[in-house]
Amino acid sequence: MTAAGLQKPGPRAEAARPRRLLDLAGLRLVRLHLASRRVPGALAALALCGLVLRAALYWHWSLSSGNGAQSLALVMEAGAASVIAVAAQSPFGDPERATGRWLPYLRLGSAVGLTAAAFGALAAGAAAEHLPGGTLDILRNMAGLTGIGLLLAAVTGGALAWAGPMMYMIVAQFALIGDWPSPWMWPARPPHDLGGALCAGLVFAAGIVVATVRGARAFREV
Amino acid sequence: MTVAEAPVRPRAPRAGHPSPMSVWRLLWLELRRNAMPWMFPLLAALFVFDPYRTAMSYPPLWDLRASVVVNKLLPDFVAFVAGVAAWMGSRDSRRHTADLVTATARPRWAAWLVTWAATAIWAVILYLCGVAVIYGVTATQATWGHPLWWPVAVGCAELAVISALGFAAGTFFPGRFTAPLAAVAAFFLSLEGFDNAVGRSSVYALLSPTTSVPGDDIGVFYHYVPDLAIAQLMFLTGLTVALLGVLGLARGAEGGLRLRRAAVVLTVAGVAAAGTAVGLVGTAREGKASVTIPALHDAANDRLIAFTPVCRPAGGVPVCVHPAYRAYLSQVKAAFTLVLREISGLPGAPARITEVGDVGLSTTPGTISGPPTELSFGMPPTVGSFGQTKSGFAGSLQVALVTAFIPGDGAASGKPGGSGSAGSGPPPGAVPPAVQARQAVQEGLLKTVGFRLPAQPPQLYAYGWPGALPTPQVHAAAERFAALPAATRRAWLAAHLAALRAGHITLAQLP
Repeated sequence: MTAAGLQKPGPRAEAARPRRLLDLAGLRLVRLHLASRRVPGALAALALCGLVLRAALYWHWSLSSGNGAQSLALVMEAGAASVIAVAAQSPFGDPERATGRWLPYLRLGSAVGLTAAAFGALAAGAAAEHLPGGTLDILRNMAGLTGIGLLLAAVTGGALAWAGPMMYMIVAQFALIGDWPSPWMWPARPPHDLGGALCAGLVFAAGIVVATVRGARAFREV
Repeated sequence: MTVAEAPVRPRAPRAGHPSPMSVWRLLWLELRRNAMPWMFPLLAALFVFDPYRTAMSYPPLWDLRASVVVNKLLPDFVAFVAGVAAWMGSRDSRRHTADLVTATARPRWAAWLVTWAATAIWAVILYLCGVAVIYGVTATQATWGHPLWWPVAVGCAELAVISALGFAAGTFFPGRFTAPLAAVAAFFLSLEGFDNAVGRSSVYALLSPTTSVPGDDIGVFYHYVPDLAIAQLMFLTGLTVALLGVLGLARGAEGGLRLRRAAVVLTVAGVAAAGTAVGLVGTAREGKASVTIPALHDAANDRLIAFTPVCRPAGGVPVCVHPAYRAYLSQVKAAFTLVLREISGLPGAPARITEVGDVGLSTTPGTISGPPTELSFGMPPTVGSFGQTKSGFAGSLQVALVTAFIPGDGAASGKPGGSGSAGSGPPPGAVPPAVQARQAVQEGLLKTVGFRLPAQPPQLYAYGWPGALPTPQVHAAAERFAALPAATRRAWLAAHLAALRAGHITLAQLP
């Protein structure tokens, strides 16, 4: 047989288009993604934060800083933000990045969804009890702390990203006592303060963008 | 040869104990693989921001600097130590290697103890680094005393118990969320959880190192009394041992009967030590300078520390302070000089001014004794510490001198701790007219030296004002008295001072 006798192969079958996210396979993908981020466990942890806040307000536990209830709420907000930051960790590391185009959307959805759930849990915990600053304060602090956690997760990995919100919370306790005017110390600002809200919003936006585009860093686990 | 005649197979020689060197090697591996060093940059930043800055704002007195070690450095560390310990405790479960490592030579409990020890060692090393910086700088500045090591030991014991708690949480509830939740819980527990649990006024709140810090003049006028520190150390060590023992009783410890017995013994010993400490703290009482526990108390610690005061004359009156406060002598002298110019030569004016011990942060009122008349005063918070300002420092000293020179009426006081409610003061009608007159003269004298009494009760009493809140009538009379020419004011005081002190002069009779 000579080369002249060879036949040209037929055109290769076109690769199947990726399915839409909302069909059955898409929903399975979402479920698997949420399971890989331990989102059910995160939701339970967030509910626990809300319950502790509720108990603290009901039994009038307070930190001895003067802004007692506010300080305690800040501790719980930091706890919730830490949980969200840790949930950003992927168990698969780098190989996951090559799996498809839906990953950034899934990351975005889980981060925003968990932040909303954290806000809901804490707001429910504070409902019917007097919390200085009210739900607006919770929303702003929660958003800012979550942003810090997600940013740190992109740098160090999700495993130890809880340290970021914890550190900010400890510094913010001093800001609360000393009534610091800097908007970057938003927990010390009144709930309607525009500067504080802008700073917290900016940090949250940065955290969400980084979490969406890059995700938590795949880091050698210690 | 039948089966019955076959020789019995010799028992396999019993495996010897694993070499102790392997424990050290395991510890070295755990130290290298521990997550605690990753916290170092954050903890260093936090250290500079909070404990170091606070310590450097205090005067270079060992007792005050030691209070930072317990009250600032420790709470900043506990959240991170608990979180990392929980992370390390849940490692095998997180990595799904629990079954794999169960087959290794060492029982799991021993391996857990090594992992915990590595975490605690790192935490204590970082903590001691912070202590070394604070104490090192203090050593170059302090002119009196020596470092207090008991608070440092208690801090190390608290870090050990916090890391044991975190490790146990991670072992029993493994998961990625255990670490952040343990961090939050530890922070809350160390600051207020314990306090809230036992009640703020309960004597058992003293078991927490952060609820009890060394007094202000400990190591300056009074010896450090280690009673409470010993009880705290016993309590925290007992808790740590009990927690580690409980780890050995866990199903996953794979210890065998002997190790389980050892774990039970450890748990019982730990609980006994902690229980004994609780019992001891229950007998604690307020001593002269700090809390004492009779069973642990050494009476030798009750003696005052001998010292030779450093003095400087202020208008002919020697002003003496403890050598530890040598650096503040010129400020003290300047504050008293202004008042002494107004009152020197008058009957009852001090011929000597001497600092005495003040165990509380609040300013104690000055007292004049004699003859020869001598003013004893407690050193107020120095400039820069506890938010103290230059004018506040001078004002506190001037209030001490003026109110000792013309004593008010403490019985009618609304001062915190007095007969009235804290900071509110009795109603104006309750203050006798003679007392109002004395208050007006006191306030007038302070005005002449440039110090204006604050209007708000908390600020007023922060200066050590011993009497009731001055009324508007008192303020008006004080303004009039201060506006008098110096010679007229002095002449009036010389003529009426005895009657004023005896309560024979009313507000209306003031010039």
